Amino acid sequence: MSGPDQNSKPRLAPGCRWAEANGAERLLMFPEGALRLQGTGREILERCDGQRSVQQIIEELQAQYKNGEPGRIQQEVNSFLRSLHHKRIVDF
Amino acid sequence: MQPNPLALIAEITHRCPLHCVYCSNPLEMQKAVAELATDEWVRVFREAGQLGVLHLHLTGGEPLARADLTELITGARAAGLYVNLITSGIGLSGPRLAALVDAGLEHIQLSFQDSREASANEIAGTRSHAHKLELTRLIRQCKIAFTVNVVVHRQNLNRLSEIIAMAEELGPDRLEVANVQYYGWALRNRDLLLPTPQQVERSRQTVAIAQERLGGRMRIDYVAPDYYARYPKACMGGWGRRLLLLDPAGQALPCHAAGVIPGMQFDNVRQHSLDWIWRESAAFQRFRGEDWMAEPCRGCERRSEDFGGCRCQAFLLTGDAAATDPVCTLAPTHGVVEAALAEASPAGASSSPQTSPASWIYRPNPA
Repeated sequence: MSGPDQNSKPRLAPGCRWAEANGAERLLMFPEGALRLQGTGREILERCDGQRSVQQIIEELQAQYKNGEPGRIQQEVNSFLRSLHHKRIVDF
Repeated sequence: MQPNPLALIAEITHRCPLHCVYCSNPLEMQKAVAELATDEWVRVFREAGQLGVLHLHLTGGEPLARADLTELITGARAAGLYVNLITSGIGLSGPRLAALVDAGLEHIQLSFQDSREASANEIAGTRSHAHKLELTRLIRQCKIAFTVNVVVHRQNLNRLSEIIAMAEELGPDRLEVANVQYYGWALRNRDLLLPTPQQVERSRQTVAIAQERLGGRMRIDYVAPDYYARYPKACMGGWGRRLLLLDPAGQALPCHAAGVIPGMQFDNVRQHSLDWIWRESAAFQRFRGEDWMAEPCRGCERRSEDFGGCRCQAFLLTGDAAATDPVCTLAPTHGVVEAALAEASPAGASSSPQTSPASWIYRPNPA
């Protein structure tokens, strides 16, 4: 399975949205359920706004987590986006 | 402490233009005059939001039979709920769809009965297939999630590849391929619906191949037939644990079919708050947790995964609602399921998939 095109601009798929009430963790609603998100998962999905490219999201995460290994961050962002794409939560 | 329910299933009416032979509605349906009024539903949705419910599944009958569906959706969104509409599409025009989406509808789940018109109409007991096909074009133009749902059984499982191809062409985000579950109307038609072991095996492979091929384009969810499973399904995610169902008259049930269990008393949102019903009512406490379990469930490692299966199915097939769900291979009563499957095997099947079945029992409409 290939990862997302690095120039594509991921956005939430139709019928997917953030719940209104937010605390330390945020809730992403989708047709079959909801994802409780915090940490990097939340950081990635909040950037899926249809404006930023996958490449930009990776660079921003690398800048934010300076202690992390850049190659590994890239890999994690790609695999997270791919799995959400398969669940029809993120569109490219 | 009792966790909050995650979803509310609202059967807002039992009226329906279709008469599907596997309808999940109870054999005794609620009459139109008994239905909750608009303001009563909206109050209940508000209580659901306060109780922590996330998803609202508007279903029926056919929810479009309610003229106030737009107002109900508006009320549900104001309560913070995620709104899903489960529909046959009959009664949905372009302008009405636009109004529902404007009101805040987020996901539409459209049912199909088959890939072939004649077979689809036979199962639905009405001519509806062509309209559904038309409707998908309109739905795809809306910015909402779109699921095509197809119930599968002995009469259409041989066409599963064709059904998947139809869905591909219709272009939903998701396809749900759901095997019939044998309650109510489906149980009465079980002899004609129960698939053969060969069909079940082949359909698993067909779905797996299609999932691989369509990954990222169309998600396929497959609901396996529990009669062929080794262990029972976690019905409703456990009794009174995650889900709450309201019938058209406001009775709160822990499961679609719970009305079949003798001695059950269902409290009504006209008399009680949703919060009280969830936490205190006898119906929701009856099979909550593990205290009610007998062997082999009581000592089984899987009891916290499948909760002993479905209470209604246990009653329907064994006469004891507290028994282990007989689909479980560990259940002492598993023989009743094996006997049904033996009937369905090619050697025992009274009608092959090719035979045109003349003896369906159709779901009628409530008065």
